[in-house]
Amino acid sequence: MIGLRNSVTGRIVLTILSLLVLLFLALPIVLIVVTSFGSDALGSFPPESWTLGWYQQVFADDSKWPAALSLSAMVAAMTTVFSVALGMTAAIALVRSELPLRSAVYGLVLAPLVIPQVVIALGMFLLFEPASMLGSPIAIALGHTVLASPIAVMIIMATLKGIDERLEDAAASMGAGRLTIARRITFPMAAPGVVAAAVFSFITSFDEFFISQFLSSVDTTTLPVQVFNVLQYDVDPSVTAVAALLIAVAILALAVVGVVRRLGSDKQSGLLPVETGISAGGETR
Amino acid sequence: MSELHVMSTQQSPSIPASAVTGTGKPLSVTKVRKTYGAMAAVDEISMEIGAGEFVTFLGSSGSGKTTTLMMIAGFVEPDSGSIVVGGRDVTRLAPQKRGLGFVFQQYLLFPHMTVGENIAFPLQLRGVPKAEIRRRVGETLEIAGLAGFARRRPRELSGGQQQRVALCRALVYRPPVILMDEPLGALDKKLRDQLQTEIKRIQQELGLTVIYVTHDQEEALVLSDRIAVMRDGRIDQFDTPRELFERPRTPFVADFLGAANFLPGQVEDSTAEHVVVRLDTGGVLRARAQDVTAGTRVRAAVQPGRLTPVAPEAGFCTGVVESVTYVGTLVRVTVLPEGGTGSTVVRLEVPAGRAPYVGDRIGLSADPGDVSVFAAGTEG
Amino acid sequence: MAAPVLAPAEPAVATAPGSGPGGLRRRLSGRRTRFGLLNATPIVVYLLVLFVYPIFSTLLLSVEGEDGGFTLHWYADALQGTNLDILLATLRISAETSLLSLVIGFLLAYWITRLRPLWAGLVMLVVVVPHFISALVRTYGWIILLGDHGLVNEALVGLNVPGAPFALLYNEIGVVIGTTSVMLPYTVLLLYAVMRGVDRGLTAAAASMGAGRLVTFRRVYLPLVAPGLVNASVLCFILCLGYYVTPALMGGPKQTMVAALIDEQVMKDNQWNGASALGVILLLLTFAGLLLLQLFKKVGMARRNRGAA
Repeated sequence: MIGLRNSVTGRIVLTILSLLVLLFLALPIVLIVVTSFGSDALGSFPPESWTLGWYQQVFADDSKWPAALSLSAMVAAMTTVFSVALGMTAAIALVRSELPLRSAVYGLVLAPLVIPQVVIALGMFLLFEPASMLGSPIAIALGHTVLASPIAVMIIMATLKGIDERLEDAAASMGAGRLTIARRITFPMAAPGVVAAAVFSFITSFDEFFISQFLSSVDTTTLPVQVFNVLQYDVDPSVTAVAALLIAVAILALAVVGVVRRLGSDKQSGLLPVETGISAGGETR
Repeated sequence: MSELHVMSTQQSPSIPASAVTGTGKPLSVTKVRKTYGAMAAVDEISMEIGAGEFVTFLGSSGSGKTTTLMMIAGFVEPDSGSIVVGGRDVTRLAPQKRGLGFVFQQYLLFPHMTVGENIAFPLQLRGVPKAEIRRRVGETLEIAGLAGFARRRPRELSGGQQQRVALCRALVYRPPVILMDEPLGALDKKLRDQLQTEIKRIQQELGLTVIYVTHDQEEALVLSDRIAVMRDGRIDQFDTPRELFERPRTPFVADFLGAANFLPGQVEDSTAEHVVVRLDTGGVLRARAQDVTAGTRVRAAVQPGRLTPVAPEAGFCTGVVESVTYVGTLVRVTVLPEGGTGSTVVRLEVPAGRAPYVGDRIGLSADPGDVSVFAAGTEG
Repeated sequence: MAAPVLAPAEPAVATAPGSGPGGLRRRLSGRRTRFGLLNATPIVVYLLVLFVYPIFSTLLLSVEGEDGGFTLHWYADALQGTNLDILLATLRISAETSLLSLVIGFLLAYWITRLRPLWAGLVMLVVVVPHFISALVRTYGWIILLGDHGLVNEALVGLNVPGAPFALLYNEIGVVIGTTSVMLPYTVLLLYAVMRGVDRGLTAAAASMGAGRLVTFRRVYLPLVAPGLVNASVLCFILCLGYYVTPALMGGPKQTMVAALIDEQVMKDNQWNGASALGVILLLLTFAGLLLLQLFKKVGMARRNRGAA
């Protein structure tokens, strides 16, 4: 009886503590969303009255946000194209072929996930500064691709591993050539994974701060750099609305991945690419 | 359940006239060899397979049966030798250029396509016009008893149904030879029996050349015109089921096909009619005529099903019944022979009505035609 | 065969590689290798130019004197005075953060493994979604929360907690709270992956032998998840070492971390060599951490092997 009671209290304590931890994770995010609709964007909680004013300010004529937003979107789009292209070829090489020095290649691909970003950013700066490419969207996108492509590789690799290679053999036995197999069999089945890779590449770039910080110039800054500058130097209440928009973009991206996974015919769990994306950093091999 | 339903409503599906043509082509394999490291997985195998013939490669894992099949399919490249299908040398061709059909154990239906799309796929590759594709897909589904399944997704189907679809997909484009790699291995016994009958029926009606790989001797016996019993990368014997049963060429074949009893002894006489063997247990056993000389140490092989219980002392051996096990309508009996070491037994199978009791003293008899002898020391 | 033996022969079984049902592999290996090389080339070239080469040039710059010759004085600079203080602060804050992440991450991950699948999925969503929201944004959330008139202090004052309101911002408490919140999802996912793999039957077996809850936890559960704990905490520590955003926004002067120092030296002081030396030091610390992990893995493996033998 005593043991039972102990275990019940233990479980209750564990549950309460865990819920507090969840609150710890969720509270800052919820707070920003709520505050962005409050009349006093930096102040008390819950807000005394509600307004959409901050959002109107973000998109006002004299606002500096739209320029940063469009630069970020452009950079993220380029990063997505680069990462998915590199990710697909690399994943095919790593999963579907015989590769000499395979583990060395794999290690190189994953290395950017464990090397401190400040070191990567510094190296990039030393590369692009002499070429006077600071502030160039292409330079920033090339920099972001170093961080995004390992994630794309991981996700597409996981997807390819989930596709029975013998399905390709089956198609070959019926007379399908290499290109036909890729187009009719492998690609349609890998599509959800490729979409997930694209979405995660996009969001990695869209949210990236440190490399952008090093590669931005005074008049070309990405959205996160702009947000950082506002938070550190000049307080602009509309930043709360921008932060809320960044949250919305991230959630939207995750939702897209979830839906694509659901539509895809494979049985893998809905969160698989997300977990792969996260644990990507945990792979040290 | 739906499996049974389909079966009962499609008891004897009519085969459209256009499909009833002998599409199968002959195939010949000459001195094909494949080594992995120092190990010969397939060691200079040769065989001729006729058009419309159903041939099974039978062997345990590692016998080289699957490697041989993969070489015929083109997934594995032979080190030497040649493979000719319908007069065309395909030895060095990629799988997709050989035009053969392949049915895999794991079905391997494309999950992103419907059943109909799966079957249409090889036809699309061949540029068959749309209307023709639709007609042939429907026709093939009907042959396999799957009419009305075209719009389903593979994962909505049972294992048996999926394998029928895989079968359809392999035969819809009338390949000269269809290769099957343990296609029923993943199914349960009942379904397997059912599908064996189906496969055999379709093969015969369409005149297909089929090469079938299995480790299940029963399945091989039910399906095949001829069976290649394989071991260690070689063919022990390539013959009709009847020949394999009645005239096994090696102890391995005798054992693998029927779990034969091996009785050691010495040849007393060898004539044109039979071989007379004096068993170590004391009795005399007559075997079919074979090329052995008197005085040779041999092992006489006889299948459990070919032994008959008789009165004590009336047969070639007498012993006490040790166990009786009912297996359906058959009864497995083990007899401890007198004059033996006491640790070994003779196994026989008799119809349920004629089963002896444990402890009975019975004699054992066998028809000379059912007994083969192998010189002692023959491997296996 | 001297004794009269009546026995069925054993069927001969040999195994050859590549002939089983799983051995279906295209052996056209020359073509497969060429295909692999062709596909691996883009990313390898890309990373060599934009990742390896830049880091390599950082390395060169860090040992290059003003006259272009070899020198170690940038490292000497980095390891003394204020710079050394910053380096030590970085190590301290990283250690505090990874320890805190480990403890509360362990708690949460353990709880999730005990939930029903549906609930576990929902809770995982609360863990995963923040991970994909910009750290900058989450840090901003904490700045609002932890201010003198923020929600946390208001609540504490409302509860009449003595000493409230506390200074939670622009000091080390704030930095550790903020950074932990950023690192936590990562830690939880790493831990959860390990904990999910622990067979519940094992703890039940220990209990059936009379082991109490504490003994079971300490002698059975902890040893089983220990490799995961080490892995998660070291990786978390490594990630903290080079972290910039949260310490920069939530810390005071005493919480300046190496990343901020590098940023300052490059952007304000135009001191690339010194920044490079700091970068290389960070890199070496990272490698040391990864090496430590490999070492742990090897020791663990050796111990397990010995156990098996």
